[in-house]
Amino acid sequence: MIFKALLQQLLTKPVTNRFPAKYMPRSVVKFLGKVEKGEAKLTPPVPVTEGFRGRIAYDREKCIGCQLCIRVCPARVIEFKPEEKKIRMYVARCTYCAQCVDICPVGALSRSQDFLLADYDRFSPNLIVE
Amino acid sequence: MREARLGPEEMAEKKREKTCSTCFEVPIGPVHPALKEGIRFTFWVEGEKIKKVDIRPGFMHRGIEFMGTKRNLVQLIYLAERICGICSVSHPLALVQAVEEAAGIEVPPRAQYIRVIIGELERIHSHLLWAGVAAHELGFDTLLHYVWKIREPVLDLLEDITGNRIDYAIPIYGGVRRDIPPEKYPKLKDALRYYRSLVEDLLNFFLRDPSIEARTRNIGILTREEADALCAVGPTARASGLRKDVRQDWPYFTYPDLQVRALTPEDMGLGVRGDVYDRIMVRLLEVSQSIQIIERCLEEMPDGEITSVPKVAALLAQLKKAEGEGIGRHEAPRGEVFHYIRLEADKEAPVVWKVKAPTYSNLMSWFPMFKDQEIADIPIVAASIDPCICCMDRVHIVRGEREEVVWKEELLRLSWEKTKRVASRVTRHAPWGRKG
Amino acid sequence: MSGLNALWQAILVLVGGGAIGFLYKGLDRKLAARLQGRIGPPLRQPVLDVVKLLLKENVVPRTAVPWLFQAAPFLAFVAAVTALLYLPVGPLSPVLHGYGDLVLVLYLLAIPALAMALGGLASGSPYAVVGAQREIVMMMSYEFPLAIAAVGIAWRLSTLGIGPSFSLATIAANPLWGSVGPLGWIGLSLLFAALLAVTPAELSKIPFDIPEAETEIAGGLLVEYSGVNLALFYLADVIKTLVIAGLVVALFIPYGIAAPLGIAGIGGKILDILFFLVKLFVVIFVAVTVIRVSFARLKVDQVARFYLLPTTLISLAGLLLLVLDKVVMGG
Repeated sequence: MIFKALLQQLLTKPVTNRFPAKYMPRSVVKFLGKVEKGEAKLTPPVPVTEGFRGRIAYDREKCIGCQLCIRVCPARVIEFKPEEKKIRMYVARCTYCAQCVDICPVGALSRSQDFLLADYDRFSPNLIVE
Repeated sequence: MREARLGPEEMAEKKREKTCSTCFEVPIGPVHPALKEGIRFTFWVEGEKIKKVDIRPGFMHRGIEFMGTKRNLVQLIYLAERICGICSVSHPLALVQAVEEAAGIEVPPRAQYIRVIIGELERIHSHLLWAGVAAHELGFDTLLHYVWKIREPVLDLLEDITGNRIDYAIPIYGGVRRDIPPEKYPKLKDALRYYRSLVEDLLNFFLRDPSIEARTRNIGILTREEADALCAVGPTARASGLRKDVRQDWPYFTYPDLQVRALTPEDMGLGVRGDVYDRIMVRLLEVSQSIQIIERCLEEMPDGEITSVPKVAALLAQLKKAEGEGIGRHEAPRGEVFHYIRLEADKEAPVVWKVKAPTYSNLMSWFPMFKDQEIADIPIVAASIDPCICCMDRVHIVRGEREEVVWKEELLRLSWEKTKRVASRVTRHAPWGRKG
Repeated sequence: MSGLNALWQAILVLVGGGAIGFLYKGLDRKLAARLQGRIGPPLRQPVLDVVKLLLKENVVPRTAVPWLFQAAPFLAFVAAVTALLYLPVGPLSPVLHGYGDLVLVLYLLAIPALAMALGGLASGSPYAVVGAQREIVMMMSYEFPLAIAAVGIAWRLSTLGIGPSFSLATIAANPLWGSVGPLGWIGLSLLFAALLAVTPAELSKIPFDIPEAETEIAGGLLVEYSGVNLALFYLADVIKTLVIAGLVVALFIPYGIAAPLGIAGIGGKILDILFFLVKLFVVIFVAVTVIRVSFARLKVDQVARFYLLPTTLISLAGLLLLVLDKVVMGG
């Protein structure tokens, strides 16, 4: 029977991670504003591991414009800018497979740990890497 | 197209055969709390007893095979990964086997061990997820929360090894993309020890709980003969006493060395009844089987390369030259996943890509299961085959001006047409390429 | 008692009862969540839910019988609230003391369930129709043990020469445990167990939530209800929870702590009312919260069998033992 497990759970701390706060704030935007001002405390999300595949980081200087990443990207995230021979990535489409990281011959692309990428606008500066 | 269709009288006749005049009609789906994905059941019930059932799939069709023929093979892996979110390594594993067979690419032993480890970790998390869903369908939310709580460590572990909780992006043609370094072995072993200690609890909570037993014993029975005749796969077939498992019958990767045996309720020392209770039991037993397999893999895993073609650009070039066809099959948590692929030289995209998800085989076993059950049994019986409608849906009728139902004759004719259409795309020495 | 006085008391009981009901509903949800290892909603969540429902549109489906569909929630709410007025609050007599007795309360408790079944049938949804059938079957099975438990106590009181024995105030003022012999003790315990077993079904909580069964019939009786109507059903449920728990307390554990502690006067009264609320909470926690997190939902035939066989037998055995006790003790 499950009673013993129930009692244990009643007496121990709930396992839920309280991100971003214990209860849903009435307005998340206002809550985040408060956090910035230091009036409220944000419970951090569960930390990600070392090899986590988050938003792709782009080292513009290293990029040689070979377009290999564009060939393997399954979601057509990457756009080539012919005049500069550089790329632009629309993160809103990204599937985070990091195949572009593997194929890049000069190591211009790398995995970052960022994953809190929700936004109202898919073309917001936060979601475009170039 | 019209003349091949049935006339209105024939259609009405067929409909009458399916319905039941003295019954009350209860539609379930395409949107219903018991269903996690869109499929429509129509039940004809008398009181609480189900007299007849009709199933209408097709709401979740995404045209994923068509999309696959517009992409190169490396991109295809990530498309295959998204056929199913829960078996998100099973489809790529079947696909890479098919392509490796077609293109003649070897896989180093260490990569094969890593593929098996990821596949079995996925089985643990998939079965735990299913157990939680099953508990929820029975109205036992406590167990849902409990099981999903203990599912977290395996997801964390997968994140640690592969970089994400689901959609692992780990297999690639010729190997795997990431190694499991020896530093991570202790973490893996700890997690396995944790699950080993919990298996007994899980068996207790699910199989020795009076209310669960009352709800699942002798409910949704699929006999051994029916399972065999309807070609059920995976735990659905095994719970009916059919020792059927791709890992046992057609071993691949390192499974031949591991001597995996298909588990049935007999392995728990109980008779086979083929009911929902047995299906719960088989899945829980498979969790501990997966733990054993991973433990053995960790012990036996040799050092060495993790891929035979380390450079992805070289791999792309090699695949472009490849010509031939291949079949890949993998025992996903839900049953056999089957991929067929046909490659042609100078074409980056596959010419044909065919996917068969386990639910496709298991769908028909719903009919004998629902027979003479009660309305209250619908959610758990529907969930008991662990359906994945998204993976399974391959057809959606959009041109039907008159009637949305396509009967067998019409469907067969449409399938022939499709095969001819596909065959015309194949330019060289296709086995069925003799046009006309 | 003057009419005006009664009115004031009624308002006090209703407002207080509503507040306590909401508090206990919040506690029930919170504690159920903690038992499941979750954080759970804040305590004020039931209030927020009702406020939100009151702001929402009240949809009447095209296939419904509108007047019946609209009347059912009011009927349920009014019946539950009226039943609350018949409940002795700790040391205080019920507000409507003298205008009805235990039997009336039992009938009032059946009305919300009947109203829900009617509303479900009137809504025209197949899920609601299935839910209504289940509700009626379930009611027919649990009403019998419930009636036996109530009648058994009232009858034993009447044999002791205390009257009017069917009045809840009398029952609450004269706990039976002290005046019966060992056989009666066992009998009373069995009746107590039967009543506790009936409680979750009265409130349609898991494992007996079959009329609503979320995963099976998508909310069943309530599937077509929205806005004010749904809020009224919610309020009826909140109040009914209090009434049932109050009934259990009044029938079986009506003891106060002020008298044993030797506190008299207004302080003692307040202490007893607080103790009454604690008892209510314990009954709700045991019979509703813990039960609803530790079982799977049963099927309608299993529910009917559970109440018609073991529960009825237990309550009948309890009644029989009370009769034997009367014979042994000689009244």
